Amino acid sequence: QRMRSQNIVPCTVSQLLAAEQVDETFRIRDVEISQVTIMGIIRHAEKAPTNILYKVDDMTAAPMDVRQWVDTDVSTGFLTRGENVVVPPGTYVKVAGHLRSFQNKKSLVAFRIMPLENMNEFTTHILEIVNAHMILRKNLMVASRVPQSFSSAGIGDMGGYGGGGSLPVNGLTAHQSQVLNLIKNCPVPEGMSLQELKLQLHNMSMPTIKQAVEFLSSEGHIYSTVDDDHYKSTDAE
Amino acid sequence: MGDIHEVPRQRIATAHLAQNIGQPVCFVGRIEKIHPSGKLFVLSDGEGKHTTVELNEPLDEELSGVVEVVGRVTNQATIMCMSYVQFREDKSPFDLELYNEALKIIHEFPEYFPFG
Repeated sequence: QRMRSQNIVPCTVSQLLAAEQVDETFRIRDVEISQVTIMGIIRHAEKAPTNILYKVDDMTAAPMDVRQWVDTDVSTGFLTRGENVVVPPGTYVKVAGHLRSFQNKKSLVAFRIMPLENMNEFTTHILEIVNAHMILRKNLMVASRVPQSFSSAGIGDMGGYGGGGSLPVNGLTAHQSQVLNLIKNCPVPEGMSLQELKLQLHNMSMPTIKQAVEFLSSEGHIYSTVDDDHYKSTDAE
Repeated sequence: MGDIHEVPRQRIATAHLAQNIGQPVCFVGRIEKIHPSGKLFVLSDGEGKHTTVELNEPLDEELSGVVEVVGRVTNQATIMCMSYVQFREDKSPFDLELYNEALKIIHEFPEYFPFG
């Protein structure tokens, strides 16, 4: 199950350099990252016809290459009035962009570069980095405790597995996965009731259903809603 | 600018000088006094503790307010400065005490704020 960060993740240059690349994506602590922010001081700025290349230094590693493409037809961001405004070296900036790697060298393609007007933002950024990466790690640990749910195609029909199915597959028995699939596919806000499960699962006795529900709940697959008889899936569909 | 800007430079306060002798560091502090020779100045950190910064060449400008120094810690626990930059405070004063608290956090959690 791929985990992707939907937000812009504040990072240090050292974290970006250490990010693992798998095909076209980058991961920090197994979480896919795309948009990132860094804050540092501009050490070098080089203007070319189609882009400005900066070297941004946040002290955690060597300065990172940050490229800002210049669209000569349309004004974008701070490049107004057709002028390419180069941020001078010695300026502290906040950069928002995408991580790239070319010939094993990492760089950023910036969609926004803003000089810092209040250096306290820099202090805040430091704290946000620690906070964000701590949360990323915690989310990862929570996710890894939940057994991977498998597709209903393999287990949904009783014939494929046979009998009572006490051998767990990917952590769930046949009974448990049937119960889970029904709960997952229930569109009602208060979730699925035990009575509904009994109606749909002719082959299972109420005690068996309750056992399955208890197991699924303790593993974090489902949670009770209006009362102990109604359950919803924790999987966001 | 020299090689020191190509390596990780740990952010420290005065209390950390002793354990970083010989290391490249980054120190943020407020100018307390500048030696008449211009080759030495004293910074205070977020806890009010003082650090001496030495320069190879005398200062050629008036320095005041909050400065970020990049340099190496000497055997005398001073900092041999390779470069410095003044933090702008024209719009808002810099909260040095808060920065010191942030330093404590990044020292406590190096796995989430790695140097190198």
